[in-house]
This record gives sequence, structure tokens and C-alpha cells, in this order.
Amino acid sequence: MSEDLVNIEVDGIPLKAKKGTMLIRVTDEAGIRIPRFCYHDKLSVAANCRMCLVEVEKAPKPMPACATPVAEGMRVWTRSPKALAAQKATMEFLLINHPLDCPVCDQGGECELQDVSMGYGEGISRYSEAKRAVKDKDIGPLIATEMTRCIHCTRCVRFGEEIAGLRELGATGRGEFMEIGTFVEKSVTSELSGNVIDLCPVGALTAKPSRFTYRAWELVQHASVAPHDGVGSNIHLHTYNGRVMRVVPRHNEAVNETWISDRDRFSYTGLGAADRLTAPMIREGDQWVTTDWETALTRVVEGLRGQPAEACGALLSPQASVEELYLAQQWLRGLGVRNLDHRLRQSDFSDQDRAPLFPYLGDALEALEQTRACLLVGSEIRKDQPLAGHRLRKAALGGARVMAINPRQVPFNFPVAETVSADPRGMVLALAGVARAALERAGRTAPEGFKALLQAARTDETVRAMAQALAEGEGARVLLGVQAHAHPHFALLRALAGLVCETTGATLGYLPDGGNGAGAWLAGAVAHRGPAGESLDAAGQTPDQWLQPGLKGCLLLNVEPDMDCEDPARVMKALGSAAFVAALTPFAGEALKRVAHVLLPVATFAETSGTYVNVEGRWQSVAGAAQPPGETRPAWKVLRVLGNMSGLEGFEYLSSEEVRDALKDRLRAAGVEGFDTVYRHDGASLAVPEASRGLQRIGAVGPYGVDSLVRRAAPLQATQDAGAHALARIHPRQARSLGLEEGDQVEVRQEGLSARLPLALDEAIPEGCLWLPVGVAATRHLGRSHGAVELNKV
Amino acid sequence: MATAILQFFKTFMLWELLVGLKLTGRHLFRRKITVQFPEENTPISPRFRGLHALRRYPNGEERCIACKLCEAVCPALAITIESALREDGTRRTTRYDIDLFKCIYCGFCEEACPVDSIVETHIQHYHFESRGEQIMTKEKLLAIGDKYEAEIAAARAADAPYR
Amino acid sequence: MPEIRNYTLNFGPQHPAAHGVLRLVLEMDGEVVERADPHIGLLHRATEKLAENKPYNQSIGYMDRLDYVSMMCNEHGYVLALERLLGIQPPLRAQYIRVMYDEITRLLNHLLWLGAHALDVGAMSMFLYCLREREDLVDCYEAVSGSRMHATYYRPGGVARDLPGTMPQYKPSRWKSEAEVERINADRQGSLLDFIEAFTERFPQRVDEYETLLTENRIWRQRTVGVGVVSPERALQLGFTGPMLRGSGVEWDLRRKQPYEVYDRLDFDIPVGANGDTYDRYLVRVEEMRQSNRIIRQCVDWLRANPGPVMVDDHKIVPPRREEMKADMEALIHHFKLFTEGMCVPAGEAYAAVEHPKGEFGVYLVSDGANKPYRVKVRAPGFAHLAALDEMSRGHMLADVVTLIGSLDIVFGEIDR
Repeated sequence: MSEDLVNIEVDGIPLKAKKGTMLIRVTDEAGIRIPRFCYHDKLSVAANCRMCLVEVEKAPKPMPACATPVAEGMRVWTRSPKALAAQKATMEFLLINHPLDCPVCDQGGECELQDVSMGYGEGISRYSEAKRAVKDKDIGPLIATEMTRCIHCTRCVRFGEEIAGLRELGATGRGEFMEIGTFVEKSVTSELSGNVIDLCPVGALTAKPSRFTYRAWELVQHASVAPHDGVGSNIHLHTYNGRVMRVVPRHNEAVNETWISDRDRFSYTGLGAADRLTAPMIREGDQWVTTDWETALTRVVEGLRGQPAEACGALLSPQASVEELYLAQQWLRGLGVRNLDHRLRQSDFSDQDRAPLFPYLGDALEALEQTRACLLVGSEIRKDQPLAGHRLRKAALGGARVMAINPRQVPFNFPVAETVSADPRGMVLALAGVARAALERAGRTAPEGFKALLQAARTDETVRAMAQALAEGEGARVLLGVQAHAHPHFALLRALAGLVCETTGATLGYLPDGGNGAGAWLAGAVAHRGPAGESLDAAGQTPDQWLQPGLKGCLLLNVEPDMDCEDPARVMKALGSAAFVAALTPFAGEALKRVAHVLLPVATFAETSGTYVNVEGRWQSVAGAAQPPGETRPAWKVLRVLGNMSGLEGFEYLSSEEVRDALKDRLRAAGVEGFDTVYRHDGASLAVPEASRGLQRIGAVGPYGVDSLVRRAAPLQATQDAGAHALARIHPRQARSLGLEEGDQVEVRQEGLSARLPLALDEAIPEGCLWLPVGVAATRHLGRSHGAVELNKV
Repeated sequence: MATAILQFFKTFMLWELLVGLKLTGRHLFRRKITVQFPEENTPISPRFRGLHALRRYPNGEERCIACKLCEAVCPALAITIESALREDGTRRTTRYDIDLFKCIYCGFCEEACPVDSIVETHIQHYHFESRGEQIMTKEKLLAIGDKYEAEIAAARAADAPYR
Repeated sequence: MPEIRNYTLNFGPQHPAAHGVLRLVLEMDGEVVERADPHIGLLHRATEKLAENKPYNQSIGYMDRLDYVSMMCNEHGYVLALERLLGIQPPLRAQYIRVMYDEITRLLNHLLWLGAHALDVGAMSMFLYCLREREDLVDCYEAVSGSRMHATYYRPGGVARDLPGTMPQYKPSRWKSEAEVERINADRQGSLLDFIEAFTERFPQRVDEYETLLTENRIWRQRTVGVGVVSPERALQLGFTGPMLRGSGVEWDLRRKQPYEVYDRLDFDIPVGANGDTYDRYLVRVEEMRQSNRIIRQCVDWLRANPGPVMVDDHKIVPPRREEMKADMEALIHHFKLFTEGMCVPAGEAYAAVEHPKGEFGVYLVSDGANKPYRVKVRAPGFAHLAALDEMSRGHMLADVVTLIGSLDIVFGEIDR
């Protein structure tokens, strides 16, 4: 490729660069600093701030380095008198209308405008006329605006267009009257919107939740990993006096590039929630009493020992770290408790023995960008795993055909080729249709067991187009999303997806919920497998089996039973009937106080060391950053001590790293090196799901309801996304036939249970279905997330 | 020869001691320069760097906007500030403590303050009777500022041309 | 016959003649000193290490607290080193102000030294007279900096503020009548320069008075002549600087040999001793006071005739004026950044030494290009002088040790740092 390389000279330093590369990129790589505001590595070139002017030989005027492609023999001076004069003049212009806000501006101290002014600007202003003022915009609960400070670099505008995929912010007016704002008064709704805070070089866009509470120089930076989705975004926790003050992205090109989702950015606001548990508590009759650790731990050990082990169970959070999950299952299995699981929202476990080692994406996250065709099954990837969605968006913009089989029409922020929205049975039949079309296309017959299913399959243009897109060439994948995992016929979806992949050569991938869904499988936090996928002498029951009124004892690890579980009504009933329930939890939620007997305060992800495995199998260990409040202890230490107190062997770990390494040793011993997601059907006959009558409940957990921390993050709960998610949704035609209107308060009845919530009319919902949110207060007294419901106006 | 004889007699007569006594004797009857401290004080420069105070605007609003420049510039890390958004949308301190045991009275906080809020006043006589009193809280500092605003403002005005 | 052994005597650290926190372990043969072993470190405050963790300007105040009787001279050494790294030169007026205050500081130092030294040797009234003059000089300190001791007045690029045009005045009270107040305010009617000039007018007579009391006094001479003799060769070998070196007859003065600021424009003499004993060092220091007075006079005259800026006009180093900062965007940014992050100093190293009242006070600065020094090393003259105490006191009586400590003019702030 040597003909592509050109020789240039910058400040007398000879450099080689690929022809056509922008000059600023070359100098950045060579470590030559050129000031800039509008240029950003991940955004398109706008060249409107003019700060990066440099002197180029033979050019009559200084050239913007961000928009000047390098050419052979080019000679550039970045610090020549001409370049410096141009930079100084630009700086002077930029500051003419900038308000004297530094002392009250949150950006002060980390402001690019300040830094560049110090480095390249004049020491004193020559401008003494009036400055302009711009009205602030209200763009939601996450981003504070101070538009007078804006220097019109348009990074936020370009971010919206190019990264978030939503043209929410834009520039109006020209020259003196140019303003950045939303086109109509509304909030910015992108799930990545918080990134404009980092992008904004000045203090025009700042974080609203942490407004005015810190200075950049006071914060201590700790590397961490966000546990709210399977991407495992790399983040920096910034702490002040042991408190997390803000979260910013940590650059990792392989995982999250330089972005993080709003959920990862603002979940820290839940850390100091009013119901944060700060000391161990035990229930004495109807009263909750604060006690010491010794008493509480003894109570837990005795409480669980006092119950027959086979009638005990444990619910473990998929957000918990590998260490916590590993120690929890070691301890519980040591006590003889076999019913333990992290698959809280799953309802169909029938094919769990054929599950892969862990729910693997099937590829590296980066490889999602090379996708050529992708079929999403039950996945609202944009909201569920925003940064995986961003990768897929890049692929889609590059021409990839992204298709979806979802319970509802999801608004994608990129062009989507084909979509199907259907009730649970319809989803199965649609996927079966894709399988059938793929088989027909490949000229193959249906394998054993699939015949009945394929017979009933949907056959239309859409599924045929899907099959065709997947079958054409390399780089196709089928992704089973969060809603597929919670699907009542998950096993059928998996079998069909496996068949589609086998037929078309596509890669099967999983995008489960929880930040450590992959790590939980590896750590053995499932009923039927031990750590490292080891098979067990006697498998435990699945949660749907043991979470029944006969339950005697139960352990909850960072689980809120009414919010985090499938069929909350059944779970609460089972726990309510148990003789002993212990909860390791950072928060003393109302439901926990109702069913538990002991509450042990454990640290959140920000306060303890731990390891998270993301969907691509990447192990990411982090250290604790914040000071755990009160008597709170890291859960792995609590579990370790519980193991000691129960007299079990092998609980002598001194650090979380030792726990992790113990698990890694077991993985190595089990010979688990590479992993795949190839699904091998055993030939058993798959039955066609029965059509059910009446209005079908569909729904899933919203982006800001995924775990106890996020649910307590007030700014996230105030977003439009959270607000829109708290509604019951129904197709307008269906609503008309039921005599319902937008905004009506409705009563939903399900198997004798009822809930009231407002109704929204939404054409994205398939007819015959009622979308009910999961993981919100309104529906926590209801039962299964699917099945027949009745709807009445109140 | 004559000087040697003179020297001999001077030595013999304790001459230099008598000259010294004459000097001290003269001072004995001179006007005293003693200042009747603490009732009386020597004059104080308007630049004097004494006890701190937080000032207010004439309308009663506290000047401090929690920019934390004084905290950042304090060489002795004597200042601790916590800030928050007040209901009216302004940036304000929720805590402003100066530890007078740490403070080295260098005056950098006053130089740094963009709104003339934190000042070092002319007050030099103060004491603490128990541990913990040396922490000047926001309330204490504002009270000092309220009490001595006239003197503080006069001193700042007198020195303004030099800043 | 009983065995006679040397015994060990602890001198200090709580001895009034130990000048601070000196702990001297003396090995005595009867009343004769066999060996003197100074123990230091009781006033160690890690100034050098602290400076590594602060932006450059924030350490100026800590320099005051090294030799806490010659505050501004310490600042001067640090600021000079910093200016060499930055490659800047303060305006001429600032240089004159610095020189004037260096000499005022020399007077402050020598006056305290003389008073305390005479008191150690037995002359009570000297202390009172010296502190009387000192009072006027600390008033000068207060008038420019706002502090009577720890001025924090010199800044890289100049001095913090120009000399004030007025002096604060006494007010009539129960103890002072109108007429009395008018009399004592006589020198305070004009500017600070007038006040300093009036001081320089009367100060030579005051020095005459000190000499009347001491120079010829037989007790003073008996206690100082021939005590602690250091030969010129030995003085050089021991690393003596300042009056200690000049007392031994070596004419070495940085103000002359390596002129900094405006010393090369000023007229003054370098006194040297002949015998290198305590008495000669006394004479050298007394003469230095007269010479300092001369320098101050010359500075006052120049400063009066030449108003102008006292800081360089570069806001990358010097914060803007307050009214500019409040109305001007660039100025506010520079103010904000200089008071939070401070300035970044080009990578490199610099050594700057000043003729401190006690000798050569040097600051060695290493910068790695950041806003904090990579290393600060302070060369304190008193350290070398104290190290010679053993040699100087051998064979002398116990009472002479007190004389010698006084003669060394040690202050523990700079020795222990």
C-alpha cells in the first residue's frame, strides 16, 4: 500500500500518512497538538470553528487542519506566526459572545474553551461592546443547557445525526442569531443523549443531575464497568469524598468506543436513594430492627439451615458480579440448596440443557459493525443494549439489512429492512416461516421434530425476504434479545433460530438481560449447571418450579422480587409463605421488607471490586470506587463469611481476584477455551403453540427498569423514555372496539389479579395484544408477562 | 603616645561603660513608645490579612457563588466547600468551612475570589476556647462580614487602585 | 584517685539561647567543650516535598516560613529561580521594590540577630532598642503585603501590588493625646516611600547607639573577641557564605559577584572582617546594616522618580487586574485558570541564589513542564554554618557556645525546612 502513503512535513518533522487523511488526524497521531473545538474523531468534519487553522505552504491563507487532506510534499507549520495569529484571532472571535460565566459554570476547570484560550488566545480582550444572550432550552431531565455559552461547534448536532440517529438538536438562524436547540420545545430522547455533555467543549451542555455539585479538579477517577446491560461499557466513576459525583465513558474501542448510554451515565444517582440500606436489619415480629453483622449473619445461617434444603431456593441478580455469583452458588450448593438461578425473567426452561456455555453474542461486539444481515428476535436492541445497537446501526447505515421479529414495532434509529410484530405465538410462527423459507431456498427438508411447526409457519413475502437476506453471503446473524429470553416459548424460538442459522450459515447470538448474564452462566448461577458449565449430580429445579407456595427458605441476592422477576404475584406469594427469606441487597425496598426476615446491606457495583463478563465473553475486573454507606459490605465478602460460618471448606478468599481466579481455574480445568452458540437440536418433536383466546398480554422491562439501582435513579425515571414506558399500550383500532381512548385510566385483570394504569394508543402494538410494562410499580401485582388479560375502563 | 595615655585612663575610668550608661539613661527619660495593648493598637494597613469574612451584596444576597477558586488556590487546603443548586437556580455553597489552624493567611483566597466574597479582614484579635471552634463555618463567616462590612468595604476601596 | 570522665550535656531544644529548636549534645571536660553535636530536624515541615504537590505560586507562602526572620529574601530566591525557568524578567520598578525590601529584610534580620545575640551575651537593653526599629520595618511589610511577617509579596513576574500611597495612622485615644498622635504620625503623613525615607534618616544614628553600647564595651569584647575563630581557608571549606564568610576576611557577596535585579546599579560597600572571630562577624553585620540603609535610600529615590508597572504584562503567568477580570472574558479565563491550575512552566532546571542576610540562599527548581515543580531544593545558608559549630566551639567554655550560636545567626525554619 506504499503508493497510498504520502510524505508531509509538519513543523519540520517529516511524517508519513495515508493520502487523503485529514491533517489533524495525522498530527494527532504524531502527537503534535493543534487546537480545535468542532473536530471530533468520531464525528464528521464540519470545519466551522476555525480554531485549527495552520499555515500550509503555498496556501494563500491559513487552512483548517480538520478539513485539509494531506498531499505529497505538503509542508505545514502549526506554530508559525501566521498560524498563531490566525488561532489567536479565532479565539478572540469565539470569546466575543461568550458570557463571563466561568465561576458559576460546571465546565470550569475542564473547559476546552478555557484551555485553548490559555494556550492560544490573547491575555486580554479588545471587545467591550454588549454580548448577545440566548434563551436556555429545556431538553429534559438529564442535560442542563446554558445556550449563551455555546460556540456553535455543532458537535451535539452532528452527534444527534450521526451517532444517536435522531435529529433532535439543530442550528437555527445565521451569524449573530445562530442558536442551537431542539426544533420544537421538547426533550432530547436518545438513549445516548448524555454523550453530548462530554462532547460539548464549553459549558453549554452540562449534566443536570450533578449540576453545581463538584469541580473537575476535585474528582478522583476510578475505572469501572457499567453493569446495566450486556455490553459492559467501560466507564470512569468520578468520586468526591467517597461519593460518586458523575460517570463518564472510558475509551475502549472494542466495547463502547467513546460513548456510554444514559443508563450507565446516570444510574449512579440511585446510589444515595432514600431507602438505601446502611445496616443489617432483622425482622422481630412485624418490626424491623437494626442489628450488627454478627447477629444478622448468624440469623441467616441458622435460618437457612433450619429449613429442608430441597425446599429452599435462591434468586441471584444477573447484575451481580462473577465473584458474588460464584460464591453464592458455592455456599448454597454447600448447604445442599440446589434451586438457585439468575434467570429471573425467563419463563420457558424446557431446552436449558441444550443452552450454550453462556449466552454468547456469537462474535465480538466490534464485529457487529461488519454485519451484513441481521435478524433480531425479541430484541429492542436500541434501548436494551444501546451500544450494541449503535454498532448495528453503523452496519445498517453501511447497507446491512436489519430485520426484526418483535412483539411490537420498535422505533429503530436506522433503516430496517423487514419487521414483523406479533403476539408470542405469532413470533414463533414468523420465525418458523423464516426457517421454512430458508429450507426451501436451500432445497432442504425440515429436520426431525420441526415438521409440525414449519407446517403451521407463516408464509408471506416478509419472512421469505428475511430468509433470503440471511442466506445471501457472509456476515449474517440472528440475535435472540431480551424479549426472546422472556418469551413463553423461548425454547421454540431458540430451536428455530438454530435451524435458520444452520440452514443459512448465519451466526446465532444472544443478547440477554443483565450486565453479567454471561458471567452468571459461567459462575454456575443456574439450576442445572455448576461453575464452568460443569454438569451436576442432581440438578436443581427451575424458578417456575420451586417458586411455589411450598417454599421454605430463600436467599435473594440484589433481587427485588416484585420488580425483577417473571410473574411477580407468584413469586411474592411463594416468598410470603416461606419460613425464612434472607436478602442481600443495597436497598430496603418495600417488597423486600414485606417478605424477607433478614436484610443484609451489600455494596453496589460502584462500591466493590468485581468482575463482569459481557456478551462477547470479555472478562472485565474493576475495583471499588465509592465508599459504601454505613455498615454496607461487599456482597462477596458477606458470602465468604456466610460460607465460613456454615463450616464449609474453600471460603478462605482474601480478595475478589482470588475468587475470580478460582473460577477461572475451574474453567481451564473444564477445558472451556473457545465457545460457540451452535444449536444442536436433539430431534424431539416441537409442538405448535396453542392459540390462546382473548387479549394477549405482551410487554417487557423498560430501559430504566432493569435493576434496583436504575429504578432509583430519579433523573432517569423523569425521562420521556421512563414515562412512556409506564403506560399500557394498545392498538387504536383495538381500543376503539373496546371503547377506550388515549389517556384513559384502565383496569387490567389477569388471573384474578388487577392493576390500574393509564392507557396509550399505539399503532406499534399488534392487534389482539395489550402491552403492559414490566418492572414498574403499576404492574408489580400482576402475574405472568404473557397470557390472556382483560381490560376495562375505570 | 597621647592616645595610649588617654586609652589607659579611659579604661581605668570605665569610660565606655559610662558612655553606654549615659545612652540608656537618656532613653530612661525619653518619651515612651509603648503601645497599651490590647486596649490600644498600632495602625492597620488596608491590605492587612486577618480573620476571614464572607461578604454580602447590599441587597442581602450572599456574594459567594461556590466557584471554588479559593478552595483550589488555598495552599494549606484550609477551605472546604460543598456546592449545590439552590431553589432559585443559582449556584451556592451548602458548606463553606475555613480551618483557621490550617490557614496560613496568604491572602490567595481573596485574590482568587471573582466576586469579592471571601476577604481577609483587619480583625486580628480572636481566640478559640475549645477544639472545633477554629472551623469557621459559613454562618460565622457571614456574620463577621455583616458586622464589619463598612470597614471591609472601606479597606477594599482604599486598596482598589493597586489590585 | 577517682576517675574523671567527660560528661555529656544536652543543650536545648528547650533552651532560650538555642535559637529555636536546636538540640546540641555537648561533650564536656569540666566546663570545656570537647565536642558539639547539633541535632536538627525538630522543625522539619517538608517544605520541599509540599512544594512538589502544589502549583508553583502556592509555594511562595511556604518560602516565607523557611527563615522566618528574613521572609522576603526567601521568597526572592524561589521567585528568581521560577523566573529563570519561565524566561521572564520583572519590570524595573518591581526589581527596585524587591531590592529595597530585600534590604529592609536584611535590617529586620540583623536587628533581631543583634538584639538576641546581645541578650544571649548579657546586654538587655539592646534587644529593646533593636525591636523598636524592627517595629517600623514590619510596618513597611504590612503596608505592602498586608502581613507583618509572612508577606507572600514577591510573585513570578514582579511583586503582588505597588507600594501604597498612604500609611495607616495612629488615632487619638485614652492613652495618646491629639498632640502625641500628631507627633508619632509625623512620618506617616505621606506615602510608604516617605515613611521608609524617614526611617533611613534616623536609622544611622540608631546604629551608632548600638555601637556605643557594644563595640567598645569591655564585657562584649571579652565575650566575643577570639571566640570561634575561623580562618578564611577553613571558612571556604566549610561552605560559609554571607557575613560568616566575610567575617573571616573573604570578600564574597552575591550582590556584587553575581548581581541580580538592580544591585549592579546601586552604590554600596562590602564590609569584611580581619580575624574571623565572633567580634568581627558582629562588626561586619553592623556595617551591613549601614550599607543596607544606603541601598534603601537609593531605591527610595529611584522609586519615587519612576512610577510604572510592578508586574510583567503577560496573563499567561500573571493574573489580570481585578477590574479587568470582572469585565473581560479573556481576563476571566486567565484568572480562573491561573488560580486553579496555575501556570505550566517549561521543562528544565534552574538554580537561583540571593544574598540572603544569612548567606547564600539558593533554590534549585526542576520542572517537567507541569504546573507543579518536579523538585524543589532549598540551599539554606544556616545549615552549613551550623555544621561548623562543632569545629568552632571545641576548646571553648560552655558559655561561649551561647555566643557562638548567636554569632552563627541560625534560624531553624531554614535549616530543618
